[in-house]
Amino acid sequence: MSTITADAHVHSHDDHTHAGSFLSTYVFSRDHKIIGIQFLFSTLIWFLIGGLLALGIRWQLAYPWSSMPILGKLVYSAEGGQIAPEAYTMLFTMHATVMIFLVIIPILAGAFGNFLIPLMIGADDMAFPTLNMLSYWFMWPAFFAFGASFFVGTGPASGWTSYPPLSLTSEAQMFWLIGLTFVGVSSMMGSVNYLTTIIQMRAPGMTMFRLPMTIWGMFITAILQAFALPVLTAAGFMQLMDLKLGTGFFIPEGWSASNSLRASGGGQPLLWQHLFWFYSHPAVYIMILPAMGMVSDMLSCFARKPLFGYKPMVYSIAGIAGLGFIVWGHHMFVSGMNPVLGMTFMVATMFIALPSAIKTFNWLGTIWGSKIQFTTPMLFALSFVSMFIIGGLSGIFMAATPVDIFIHDTYFIVAHFHYVLFAGTAMAVFGAIYFWFPKMFGRMMNERWGKVHFFLTFIFLNGVFYPMHILGWVGFPRRLADPYHYETFRHLLPLNQFMTWCAILMVTTQIIFAINFFYSIFFGPKAGRNPWRANSLEWQAPSPPGHGNFDFQPIIYRGPYEYGSPEVDEDYYPQTTPPPTDRPLAVPAH
Amino acid sequence: MSDSHAPKFSYQPALPIPNGKTCLWLFLSTEIMFFAGLIGTYIVLRFGAVAWPAPHDVHLSEPIGAFNTFVLICSSVTVVLALEAAKLNQASKAKGWLLLTFLLGCVFLGVKLYEYNAKFSHGIYPVRPHGLVYDKADIHYAAAVRKRLNDLKTDLTNTGAAVTPDDQARITVIDDVMRQVDEAEAAIRNEPDSPAGVIKLMELAYQIYPPHDHGTVLQAAEAGAVPPAALVKFAALEQPVAGEAANSQNAEREGLNEKYPWLRLPIMIPGGPMWASTYFLLTGFHALHVLVGLIVFALLLFKTLDRSRANVVENIGLYWHFVDLVWIFLFPLLYLF
Amino acid sequence: MRHFWAFLFLLVPILGVLTFLLAPYYNHAFPRDISEQGHVIDQLFMFILSLTGIIFVGTEVCLFYFMWKYNGQSNAEPVKYSHGSHTLEVVWTILPAVTLLFIAIYQMNAWADAKMRRPNVPVTAEVTGRQFNWDVRYPGPDGELHTPDDIVRVDGDIHFPSGEEVLLSIKSADVLHSFFLPNLRIKQDVVPGMQQYMWFKCREPKEVVDIVCAELCGWGHYKMSGRATFEPRAEFNAWLKEKAAEQNVRQVAQAKEEKKEEKK
Ligand code: HEA
Ligand code: HEA
Ligand code: CUA
Ligand SMILES: [Cu+2]
Repeated sequence: MSTITADAHVHSHDDHTHAGSFLSTYVFSRDHKIIGIQFLFSTLIWFLIGGLLALGIRWQLAYPWSSMPILGKLVYSAEGGQIAPEAYTMLFTMHATVMIFLVIIPILAGAFGNFLIPLMIGADDMAFPTLNMLSYWFMWPAFFAFGASFFVGTGPASGWTSYPPLSLTSEAQMFWLIGLTFVGVSSMMGSVNYLTTIIQMRAPGMTMFRLPMTIWGMFITAILQAFALPVLTAAGFMQLMDLKLGTGFFIPEGWSASNSLRASGGGQPLLWQHLFWFYSHPAVYIMILPAMGMVSDMLSCFARKPLFGYKPMVYSIAGIAGLGFIVWGHHMFVSGMNPVLGMTFMVATMFIALPSAIKTFNWLGTIWGSKIQFTTPMLFALSFVSMFIIGGLSGIFMAATPVDIFIHDTYFIVAHFHYVLFAGTAMAVFGAIYFWFPKMFGRMMNERWGKVHFFLTFIFLNGVFYPMHILGWVGFPRRLADPYHYETFRHLLPLNQFMTWCAILMVTTQIIFAINFFYSIFFGPKAGRNPWRANSLEWQAPSPPGHGNFDFQPIIYRGPYEYGSPEVDEDYYPQTTPPPTDRPLAVPAH
Repeated sequence: MSDSHAPKFSYQPALPIPNGKTCLWLFLSTEIMFFAGLIGTYIVLRFGAVAWPAPHDVHLSEPIGAFNTFVLICSSVTVVLALEAAKLNQASKAKGWLLLTFLLGCVFLGVKLYEYNAKFSHGIYPVRPHGLVYDKADIHYAAAVRKRLNDLKTDLTNTGAAVTPDDQARITVIDDVMRQVDEAEAAIRNEPDSPAGVIKLMELAYQIYPPHDHGTVLQAAEAGAVPPAALVKFAALEQPVAGEAANSQNAEREGLNEKYPWLRLPIMIPGGPMWASTYFLLTGFHALHVLVGLIVFALLLFKTLDRSRANVVENIGLYWHFVDLVWIFLFPLLYLF
Repeated sequence: MRHFWAFLFLLVPILGVLTFLLAPYYNHAFPRDISEQGHVIDQLFMFILSLTGIIFVGTEVCLFYFMWKYNGQSNAEPVKYSHGSHTLEVVWTILPAVTLLFIAIYQMNAWADAKMRRPNVPVTAEVTGRQFNWDVRYPGPDGELHTPDDIVRVDGDIHFPSGEEVLLSIKSADVLHSFFLPNLRIKQDVVPGMQQYMWFKCREPKEVVDIVCAELCGWGHYKMSGRATFEPRAEFNAWLKEKAAEQNVRQVAQAKEEKKEEKK
């Protein structure tokens, strides 16, 4: 069995009773492409769950304490469909947990990382296929643990940041922490595998500086994961011990909950925040660097023009990663941390904007003097650039410590991270799905409906998230079940209702995407090897690639961005095409 | 690697080492960060703590720790010798060295267990339900002592059998301590603003479990955990002992818990609970890593360790060096500073 | 509509800027500032807003212009086969670096004023966050906290003198909370086991404003509100006296209750 047909793969999801060979080919597969697609399906399902949880949040913010239509009756029948305050806390905690740990991180590294890395560097598979398979299956205990946590008491309700001592008062937190640990183990296995593969298994001629930006993004992300994640795992374990075994790492002197002494203390609540953000700040870059890489590839491909400033782009990714390790304290400006420390973190944070600035300007440079093809993936890529600027610039407000005193824990922060995470990364992921869909399933997605999907999502997402800046300006605090309890914020209700309707419409819009996605898997027009006339290596393999990926030994002659090269007549020049013999060798991209 | 019918491509690796070793190095860097997190926690908590017990307060013996360090370093040497032998295709010699490494690892764990046991026998556990250690002589401590005394007494009196003279002696001890708890609690209740009650409790605490090292008390006092008045009282209390025999000080003072091992009353060690948490966390995770290494060694001992397995020996050797290195950091941190 | 997408992207800067320009007219901007020090933060915010606003408009319009000019359907010129420009890279590294360095240095003083330079005045009150209320303890006539004549209030109704520097000692009785006065632009998390200070000065003679808890502290986080009343010193003192009297009456009553209980 050397080719994977799309149909067969999809059947694997509703039919698990086949023979052993089927199980090992499609379920416990060690083929990086299958594993990537398994990750893609799992994360898309969680994406839907996370989106529905977000609707719950939005409903409460627009119509506080009123019964939620349809869903409310189902989920909160006991309360007459009303969202209780503890349920609201659970909603945003699990919304963020699901979105970050079960959607964005695994869809970038797990789905696209798995699918693309060997294909783009010319390897037949990952360095350790079995480890790769395990890294997917280790997500399942996490799925179960997070899933189970919904049903323990009122669910985890300490925010996705799980700050003690509050988190130590909830039983559901145990499942949450176990889930976190399994996500950590899975990511750790994935990241050492990716690093080994990228370092050791590049095709002849594929030097580090001929790697597509996607691979650079994945590579640096894997380094971040390898170095930052273990710290969170250690911290999570300590919190688990505090919760279950009665140690006191994060419990201060003489702290009691419900009148019983939990530990004699001596621990420090702020220590958790340091350890958590030591991971979670790099994690926000884990959640955007691969997206930046994929966007760079899409931009260059559809601008039909070389990427502007390849090496500065690479160095700025590395710079973001390096600086990313020394800015975690900017989440703790008003936490009670030493203010002098706050000042140093502020300076570092300011400077992390620099590599991002370089990237932004280079993206603009890429489309300067080009011939843009407005395909669906290109629209998503362009919107990534546009939206990332908004999300990044709002970061500057928060990096300014005195301003952060006012806007910390207000909707300004919520606006910031939804612009980088949803309007940025998630939009890039949509683009990437449209872009690599033909390679994954051998068929094209519908362009017209893709554009409708893009247009509506783009409009509604700005409708939901842009006004959040304004809310933050008023000081509207986040994580409040009923912000209108305060007179200061009562007049903001109409704006919130507007945002909620945009959110509802946005989630509804995704039906277009889902239909397009599933329809195209079966009935989309057949794609050839290279439907976008792109340069990078994966497009020279069959669509979908068979077992072992390539039906030829890939040899690389140039970088991936030689669009519009005067050396050839076509406007693209694949990495594997040997240079014409009568001409001197192509000048390598600098 | 992939299934057999996958086409074999040629690659241009960046590092002149096998993939397995690359992966192992990467894995070790994640491990370094893991331990960095744990050790960082230890350092923050320790230097942020009001008081921290001296090694002797918690029955930590430097010589034993040093011996264990030595054992582990030796095992690092033997695993290198095993690798050398394997490279030279001397399978049986390699196996011999590996067996020695395995045994040294076992010795390390054995000593570790012995050390753990020494702590458990004094009621120092990492976690609350078993742990007898209290940070401060406060009302919680008094309540815990009272509870233990009551339990003991009911056990003694409710047997139904006649009260033996032995039991009677025990009951006297119990009543005596109970009286002190009552006095202290009464003092705390009646004069909440005066340190008298706390001083009484501290006197009791030191009767039960005298500090083996004076420094801890002073340290706690300086940081304000012990009321100054209590300290003055203490200086007087400690004077004769310190004057009597400065060098045999530790042996000199015997606490109630040591005198009557059946008593097992809660003990007060300033900084003790946090010390126990971090100590068992760090050494526990280290021991877990040693255990994993031992399991791999054991599996390897069933294989022929010729040249073809030199790679595997090298990888597990690297891992073993890492485990060794972690201990070299832990030993001074936990035993010496 | 060949340029449909370009114009869609042009909407981003237009509507983006418009939103910020219009919001203040609908009262959707900073809440009323009643403090002496708040304008520093407001000005810094507005300064960064205008600076990032310029960058925002610049980059977004640039994006629009390129999308419009280099539309593959209308642009007949061949693409510029360029791999980058060293000069440009240097320019767009240095310029933002200088800007960022400027912002970083410019704000340091405000930060130091807000969190580092504690004024040299006696503590006005001690505020304790607990699930889900703000308790306050005033020193009473002897001017010292934690003495029997302290005035303790647990109803979330907190009074401060206006027109003078107020120094609060804040702490938490259980989990994390955050003492947030939107109208005075101050916020500080309270951490169990940690004693912290915050200071502010109300410039209006008489004001009643919201106290918001800004750090998740459990299911009741949303309703952990308080009312801060600022009033001139004389009124404040009178209020304190009244509360002290109330407290005494209550204590006497309580003592009597206890006596009765004992007799029974
Ligand atoms: C993908 C995710 C992502 C990314 C990329 C970023 C990027 C940045 N973030 Fe963000 N951040 C989050 C996700 C992310 N963040 C999340 C999830 C939180 C909240 C967590 C929680 O509390 O729940 C958060 C919170 C957060 C805070 C804490 C706020 C608070 O709680 O009080 C701060 C403070 O400094 C901050 C700053 C920044 C900065 C300076 C950048 C920079 O990297 C941005 C750099 C980019 C640009 C600046 C734009 C492009 C550049 C130009 C157009 C050039 C010219 C610009 C200048 C000269 C200024 N972020
Ligand atoms: C990646 C991260 C991510 C993403 C994508 C989102 C998406 C959304 N978020 Fe989320 N959010 C966070 C991360 C994210 N959020 C975090 C970290 C917090 C902080 C939590 C905390 O305080 O602890 C937060 C908090 C948060 C709040 C604040 C709650 C509060 O503080 O009180 C709100 C309120 O409006 C909100 C709204 C939304 C909305 C409307 C969306 C919408 O964009 C959702 C749209 C969803 C979809 C569009 C799903 C579509 C489904 C598919 C595409 C699948 C199709 C299926 C198949 C093909 C099978 N979020
Ligand atoms: Cu107290 Cu939120
Ligand atoms: Cu951050």
